[in-house]
Parts: sequence; structure tokens; C-alpha cells
Amino acid sequence: MRELVELAAARRGLEPRRVTRALAETFARWCAPHSPERAQLAREHGVYSPPVIERGVQLALAGWTEHTLAALRARELSEPCWIPPVTAVWLAGSIPTAAFSALALPLLAGSAVYAKPASADPLSARLFAESLARADPAVGAALAVGGDAKALDEADAVVAHGSDATIAAIRARVGAARPFLGYGHKLSLAAVGPAVEPIVAARRLALDAALWDGRGCLSPSWALAIDSPRGRAAELARALASALEELEEELPRGRLDPAEAAELVELRARAAVREGTRLEMAAGASTWTVALESGDVRPPPGVFRFVSIVPVSDLESLGAFCAPLAPQLSCIGHAGFGIERARLAELAAAAGVSRLCPLGRMQLPPLDWNHDGQPPLRPLVRWLDQESAEG
Amino acid sequence: MTRAEIEREVLAWIAEGVDAKPADDRFDALALALFHLQWERGAAYRRLCAALGRDPRDVRHWRDVPAVPTGAFKEARLAIFPPSATVRTFRTSGSSTSARGALELDDLALYDASLEATFRAFVCPEEWIRFAVLAPSAADAPDSSLSYMFSRAVARMGAPASRFLVGAHGWDPDAAIAELDSVREPLALVGTAFAFVHLLDRLAERGQTLALPAGTRVMETGGFKGRSRELTRDELHGAIEAKLGVPRARIVNQYGMCELASQFYEPTLRSGAATDVKFIPPWVRTRAVDPATGEDVEPGQRGVLVHWDLANVGSVLAVQTSDLGELAGGGFRVFGRLRGAEARGCSLAADALLEPR
Repeated sequence: MRELVELAAARRGLEPRRVTRALAETFARWCAPHSPERAQLAREHGVYSPPVIERGVQLALAGWTEHTLAALRARELSEPCWIPPVTAVWLAGSIPTAAFSALALPLLAGSAVYAKPASADPLSARLFAESLARADPAVGAALAVGGDAKALDEADAVVAHGSDATIAAIRARVGAARPFLGYGHKLSLAAVGPAVEPIVAARRLALDAALWDGRGCLSPSWALAIDSPRGRAAELARALASALEELEEELPRGRLDPAEAAELVELRARAAVREGTRLEMAAGASTWTVALESGDVRPPPGVFRFVSIVPVSDLESLGAFCAPLAPQLSCIGHAGFGIERARLAELAAAAGVSRLCPLGRMQLPPLDWNHDGQPPLRPLVRWLDQESAEG
Repeated sequence: MTRAEIEREVLAWIAEGVDAKPADDRFDALALALFHLQWERGAAYRRLCAALGRDPRDVRHWRDVPAVPTGAFKEARLAIFPPSATVRTFRTSGSSTSARGALELDDLALYDASLEATFRAFVCPEEWIRFAVLAPSAADAPDSSLSYMFSRAVARMGAPASRFLVGAHGWDPDAAIAELDSVREPLALVGTAFAFVHLLDRLAERGQTLALPAGTRVMETGGFKGRSRELTRDELHGAIEAKLGVPRARIVNQYGMCELASQFYEPTLRSGAATDVKFIPPWVRTRAVDPATGEDVEPGQRGVLVHWDLANVGSVLAVQTSDLGELAGGGFRVFGRLRGAEARGCSLAADALLEPR
């Protein structure tokens, strides 16, 4: 592909510091109070309401500064290594900030990027590329957005996001000779301990569920609440319903396509018929749902601002709920565990969780997080170990 | 009305056959009586109605009767009789690890009546015909509603040489081909769509085509469920015509689901022309709705199919499917399952959770 040759040429001679600065400037533009880029994305994205885009992008990118970028590069790539001249990045889903980090990380490593946007979000990658080119045209020339699948065969490394089936198909196509990073679909949950007021936890949890409308792998599919003294889980459910209702005006939910609307109808019906489950829904055109479970069930994971509150008696029960989810759990957002947080971390690690964060920050992963337990830059490069004759 | 009275009325309507008048007043009266009965006796259904803010005081027309999405059958027992009275349980297909929906029956009279009335009208108008069934019998697959239907049809309409070509542990396509090749009389070749694909693929591997006797008809149903390569309805019917020698005007697609007592057929054999519009029996009503609002979609638009089936006396009258369809020509077309769009995001779909990896 000629485009890949041009990308490789554009990347040649780019100093890491220049790339870092251009990326930081781009993030700063997107974060700025009246960012035209963010406003355009909010207007045209289509999946999320404009306020969700505005708030979600601004909050997530706040910490993606030049200092963070430089520190990440220094931490991960301090040793001599081979950096792939061009990385193909196959995007999925509809969350803009996930697309931004997926594009930025290989660039930060020193690779040029050929990106295929997700069909559900063709805009985020294109607007990001345009803003990078405005920040520094030379760095911008190292990022191309297209759709040619030949890039999977000809790029020097491949990063793919998508379903397990998509990842497996691309992995097979790429083969073993080139670096490959696959990020499959995951689930996350919230954990609420005894040392937090339910109303406080509910407000934070509502933000985690409302940002990106519960569609992301970092969205809380369930909220496990230590129900001691008994009744705290019910209190959390009531407070969450109120908090989601309040947020509806500030961060309205975006549209659902017919399949998604049917999925939500089914989720609600399943909760409604379950014995012992109490359901709270918004009135009218219902946009949020809270299901208070009876404690001995594993309800289907919630999505589109549907949150199941599952009461558990203690931390060990919480761990037992998580353990079977091990291959699929990504993040636990927590509040109210005090000194028991160390035990929560042990249980989370055993359940395959790769990120523990305070409740209210589930949708705001730092740029340098070990997504799915993988370092963000290191797997992209090939290391050169230089041993001296002295041993 | 008591349950017995409702059943008697519905049985009488079914006995009038598929050409009976659809009679809206008659349907409405029975539907409302059935809803009252199911609301009273079905605790799980009553919970759903409560969540939707509906009770018998608000329901004045069959359209108001709340529909139960098929997924809810995985979650709770929706039968209106005690478990000890169950005589048959049909389960939805699914993996060993995912929950399966179930329809429990305490009486097969209505189920059988609806099944036989439509099967005879659309597949087997003759008194007897030889069946070749590309699916296991009910004895081999006791929780399959499809197998029950085929077994019932064979018992009531099958000539002595009728055979099930699939057993409990699978089948031998070569033996099936040999059997079909030897038939010299009109045949009802019926089975699952994926079994037809396997049969056609095997014929292609052998470089063979069959010319089934004149008067043969084919009925395929059940979709592919990931058990064969997927073909469109047109591709499948075209391949059946080409490889088995059965003209398209004698190929019928049936649409049904475990959660419903009644089935829907393309009236191809009756009209003598291929059609993809499914016939709605007089004792059933179907709507295509916008799932976000529950309102009818505009005429000609696609929506989620919802069926109100009076033969579903022992569970729930109204079932919301996961199928996309449109109303047309007095019946409906099906365009396949709703698929989650990519816009969903990167969270794992419920169906994929804990599936075998």
C-alpha cells in the first residue's frame, strides 16, 4: 500500500519530543472550554447526546498532558528497541476517548498509524487526525484514517479492538511474526462498601453509568453492595434511581437503535419477572433502570443505563460473584471499603480485573493504564537486549 | 370466563380451520378473558405488568395486553399452573452454559389442535403422505418443540413408510441421500434449515442431484443457529430446487418459536406461487412495533414482531420476539434476528457472557 510507505516516510525523523508535544497540544484543544473540535463531535456523533460527549471528552482528557505522555514514554521505552514504522489500528465501538487513546499510543511509541474507524463512529478518528495535523502538520502526516484491509497484511504491527471473534480473525490474519495487540469486549462492575453514604456512592455510580450511556467496557454492568446493615443495598438503589433521574437532564441518554431498544425492553422484562427483584424505571420514555436484586442471583449484565444492584453479605461474597467472570472483567469502581481495600484488590486481581478505581472515575482511565492488563506501549515494540562480554 | 370455557372457545375456533373469519370482536373478547386469567394466576407475569404500570383495569383491547419478551422465559416460570401439572416442557435452543427459555404445558389439546390445523392446511392437505424428516423425533429430542411438531404431524398425517432421518446422536447424510433417492411417491420432506444445508452440501460434494417425485413438497424451518453456513431464504430455496428437484412453488418456510403454541407458514402450496409472506391464523394477531415505544411502526416499515396467540392459554398470550419483520398482505415477513449494532460499544453482550470459549 502506497499510503503505508508514505506514513513510514512521514514518521522518519520525527523526534519523540515533537510527537509528545503535538499529542499533548491536540488533547488540550479537545479539552479547552469552548473546543470547536469537541463541539463538532458533540453535534455530529449521533450515538450520544451532545452533553455526554462534551462532558465525557473533557473529563477523560483532563489528565492527558505533555508531562503524562512524556512520563509514559520514558517509563515504557527507556531501553533500545525496534519500533514498528507503521501500526494498523482497527477501531471498534462508539466511545470517542477510546478511539483517541488507541490512535495516540502507537504514535507516542514512535510508530506511524493507519487507522480504520469503527462503523458506529466514523467521526472521532477523522476529527482527531485533523486536529493533530493542525497542532503539527509533520506529526499529523504520520496518521492516516482509511479503510483498506490490506493494511492488516502490510503494516509492521497491528492493534485491534472488537469482539472476541473479530480479534481472533485479525490475529490469525496478522500471524506470529508481527506485534499484535487485541482488545476484546469486557465488562466492569461497581463495588460499594459499608464506609460510604449510599447517597454519595449513588451519585458517583450514576455518573459512571451515564457517561457513554453504559455502553463501554468500563461501564458498571452491576453494582455489588455490601448489605450490612441490611437495607443499605435498597437505600443505594433508591438513591441511584434519584441520581440517574437528576442526571437525565444534565446528561441525557442518546438514541438506541431498534435492536438496542429491544435489548433494553428484554433486560427490563427479565428483571421484572424475576422473583424478589425490585425494578425502578424512569417515568415516560424511560432512559434509566435500577434493578434491586434479591441477592442470590447473577442477573444479566446491564447496559444503556440499566444497573442491577446485587446485595452481598461481605467482601468474600463479592469475590465469589466476580470469580467466574474472570476472563471478562475489566474494572471495578469502588467506594466505602476503607482498610478492606487491600482485600478487595486481592479478590479483584484473582478475578482477572486489571483496573481498580474510585467510584465516579470508571470512565476516566489514565492514558497510561494497563488496558486489559497489558502495558500500553511495550507490547508494540521488539526489545534488543545488549549483553556485555563480561556477563 | 373460566380457563375451560376459554379453551373450549379457542378449540372451536381452531376447528373452523385457517380460513375461518379473523373476527376482531371474537378475538378481543377471548384475549381479554385470557389476559385476566393469566394476570390472576401468573405471579411472574403479574410482576411484569406491574413494572409496566398495567393491570386488568387498563387493558381494554388485545393490543393493550403486555407482551413478554422471549428472554423473560429464561428468567422465570411463566406457566399459570403448578409445576406438578406439567406434562410437557419445550426448551429454546442454547448452549450448555447459557440459560434456556422454557414453555411448560399442562394440556396438549390446544397445542395439538393449532399445530395440526396449520400443518395440514399449509404442508399436508392430503389425508396421508410419506414423510422424510430432517430432524430428530420427539422421542429422541423430548424438549424440542420442532421435534414434537414433526412427530405429531407424522403420527396424524404420515404414511407407514415415513421416517426420521436424524437420530438422537446425529445423522448420516449419505444414508439420507440413498433413502431420498429410492423414493417413488410424493414426499413431505421437512426439517430444519441447517439440516437442509448439510444435505445440500453433501450432495454438492458427491456431485449429485436428486429428482424427488412430482407432488413432493418441502418444509424448512428453524433457521441456522450457527450449526451450518447461513443462506438467505432465496438461496436455500433455490438450492433445494436445483439439488432436489422440488419447484419453489412447493417449498414452504415455517416460522415458529418454542414460546408460542401456534406456528406461521408461507401459503405457497395453497396459492401455487412462492411467497415470503407468513400467514397469520385467525386465532393469532401479530404486530410490528417500535421497541422503544411499543407503538406500531408505519406501514411498510420494519419493526419487532409481537404475537398474541390464543392457543397460549397455559402461559402468556402475548410474546415479543427478537425478530425483525414487517406486516404485509394480511401476514408478515421476517427479516431475521435483531442484531446488536456496533454502536453498542465495547461492553460484552449478555448472550456472550460465560459462553464456551
